[in-house]
Amino acid sequence: MFRHDAPAEAEFRMEVRAWLEANLPPALRGRTTRPPPAELMPWYHTLSRKGWIAPHWPRQYGGMGATLNEQIIMTEELARVGAPHLPVQGLNHIGPILMEFATEAQKAQHLPPIIEGSVIWCQGYSEPGAGSDLASLSTRATLEGDCFVVKGHKIWTTWAHYSDWMFALVRTDPQAQPRQAGISFLLIDMHSPGITVRPIKTIAGDDEFSEVFFDDVIVPAGNLVGKLHDGWRIANALLGHERLGTSNPQFALMALDRIKTMARASGVIVDPAFQDRLAAASINVTALAALFSHAVELTNSEQSPGPESSIIKIFGSELLQALNELLIEAAGGHAAADRPIATDFGEVDVATPFLQARRVTIYGGSSEIQRNVVARRVLNLPN
Amino acid sequence: MDLHLTSEQTLLRDSAAKFIAAAGPKVARGFRGQAPGFAPARLRESGELGWLGMLVPDSANGLGLGLTELALVLEQAGRGLVCEPIGLAAISAVALAQGRTPHPMLERAMTGAALVVPALQEGAFGDDPLAPRTQVAGESGALRVTGTKTFVCADGADGFLVSASARDGPELCYVARNAPGCTLSATQTVDGRKLSTLSLKDAPADLVPSRQSSRNAVDALHNLALFALSAELLGVMEKAQEITFDYLRIRKQFGKLIGSFQALQHKAVDIYIKTEALRSLVFQIAANNDPYRIDPALAAAAKAKASEDALTVTQACIQLHGGIGFTDEHDIGLYLKRAMLLSSLFGNAAAQRRRYVAIAGLTA
Repeated sequence: MFRHDAPAEAEFRMEVRAWLEANLPPALRGRTTRPPPAELMPWYHTLSRKGWIAPHWPRQYGGMGATLNEQIIMTEELARVGAPHLPVQGLNHIGPILMEFATEAQKAQHLPPIIEGSVIWCQGYSEPGAGSDLASLSTRATLEGDCFVVKGHKIWTTWAHYSDWMFALVRTDPQAQPRQAGISFLLIDMHSPGITVRPIKTIAGDDEFSEVFFDDVIVPAGNLVGKLHDGWRIANALLGHERLGTSNPQFALMALDRIKTMARASGVIVDPAFQDRLAAASINVTALAALFSHAVELTNSEQSPGPESSIIKIFGSELLQALNELLIEAAGGHAAADRPIATDFGEVDVATPFLQARRVTIYGGSSEIQRNVVARRVLNLPN
Repeated sequence: MDLHLTSEQTLLRDSAAKFIAAAGPKVARGFRGQAPGFAPARLRESGELGWLGMLVPDSANGLGLGLTELALVLEQAGRGLVCEPIGLAAISAVALAQGRTPHPMLERAMTGAALVVPALQEGAFGDDPLAPRTQVAGESGALRVTGTKTFVCADGADGFLVSASARDGPELCYVARNAPGCTLSATQTVDGRKLSTLSLKDAPADLVPSRQSSRNAVDALHNLALFALSAELLGVMEKAQEITFDYLRIRKQFGKLIGSFQALQHKAVDIYIKTEALRSLVFQIAANNDPYRIDPALAAAAKAKASEDALTVTQACIQLHGGIGFTDEHDIGLYLKRAMLLSSLFGNAAAQRRRYVAIAGLTA
């Protein structure tokens, strides 16, 4: 809408599109939930062999070293062909953190398996008593000799039950004030004795996440990333990195297409009241595209979009929910069906994306926490 | 987010900010109920700065600039509650410059010596801008226009750009204020300005041709008007929110600064998100569209969003001020009233969404 490919980028886009069309198995297209590893990881390996698994990683670590525009093209083309979401904790979270903060030995051990897709990572941040108030986390890691002994409980851990490794925030100093100063960043082998993983079924019907119990789990001291008690800074250092990826308007545009298809199938498309709401939603997707394009422009010009770009996550996630509300309205009597609805215009899954969309305003800092942060850091409102 | 501007664009913005430093709420109050409700000398000053001809090509003695520059100036005009109709004059100059030989009014319109404004609206809601009921007939050189135009910012105007239907579709016509058969009746607006009904009975008119690259002169001017108003509404929202956030930082209740209360912080962030989204939208449209050929869906989208969000934001600003915000003495109400006026012009949010449905094909 607002972004235009340079000639070389357009060529790259066509290459990506053609390759995806030829190589992505039809059974993996258009899935509204992430397939389990047995189904999904072969696709990960295919992308890896092609050299396209990590567009944003530097070449020295096996990435594509792609420009921001090329990364965006990859995201858009993957979305366009209906590619399933890959496990991203390795690629988008721990990978970039290790590149920035880890020792050479840690990088050599952990980065190649992420590129190859031979290990799956999960993120151990949230706890039952530490959600929005993450700094209150209490999973203890006590240094005894050359090992940490970890005891505690993590929750909402995406794909923990499939994971080989966890990067975790653990409390190494219970007395520290502020509490953030007593937290360390630890890599934990999920196959260690003393770890119990219990999958949690979500309202969307999947078991994407789990809770993880640590009962005196022994972790070598060499698995500490950075310095002791410096985990909070490390975890927060790269938070801004993924925002541009997840706020790509392509996902909202696809949600809009789904609404139009459903509204034509149900007949509500002729209702002026519905048309008005559809227009408002579509206009907001245009605004999201403008925000995204604006932030990309600033990033490309090395004029950082600044902390105010965090509003794109709020705007984009709340818009995605509004779109999915419109989707179930468009579906009318089909809204509560627990499987895709067959229409003259093809199958449309309604309930799953609607329910899935509940999570986007919760994870990665709820909309309310994000607003607190913007109020303080951007608007400079008092404490 | 900051805009990514060239050094020339930054200079232009600074000079516009300097210009509006001499405007603002106090000046706007002074013009309430006056005739005309602005300072003609200030309009000429903006002409001397080149703003009224900023979109006019070099070949017609304009600055040949684009929509980004227009938006930068009008954003400032909105911030300063400027009463001089800079935006309407600047977009009218574009239309007057379109023909192979520019319209004779162009030069004076660019200097601000004369004021020409668009007269495109007819009904209160649901106009199809490309199918006006006003008719134009007659031979070239002896055209006559008959019909009624509403909500015209005619205050101080010397002529109008009137949309009228001819045999082959809508045409844009220039009608002089003092032409025979041309009468105006004005009503006062909430912000102390005037909107007029323009009655035309066999009024002599000049045809304003379309530029080759634009679809149609009426369409081009209408889309440009929607864009210009959106940029000005953006400025209104920005300044209103700044005043409000400042207030949240100094007002105390329950022994605390009210800006520390989470309920108010979240409301403030909601306002901020709307303003940021509109700024990105306005300037992304500016960077990707030719002034003569703005994508009509994008123009409608911008005006829909600006109209709705400017009202939402300025109302929230009053709420955040509490009782003082409801007084005429406090300036914040002036921004709501300016938002009410600009939101209503050339089709409000609901009207723009209705057009958007048709343009974007959101129908069976």
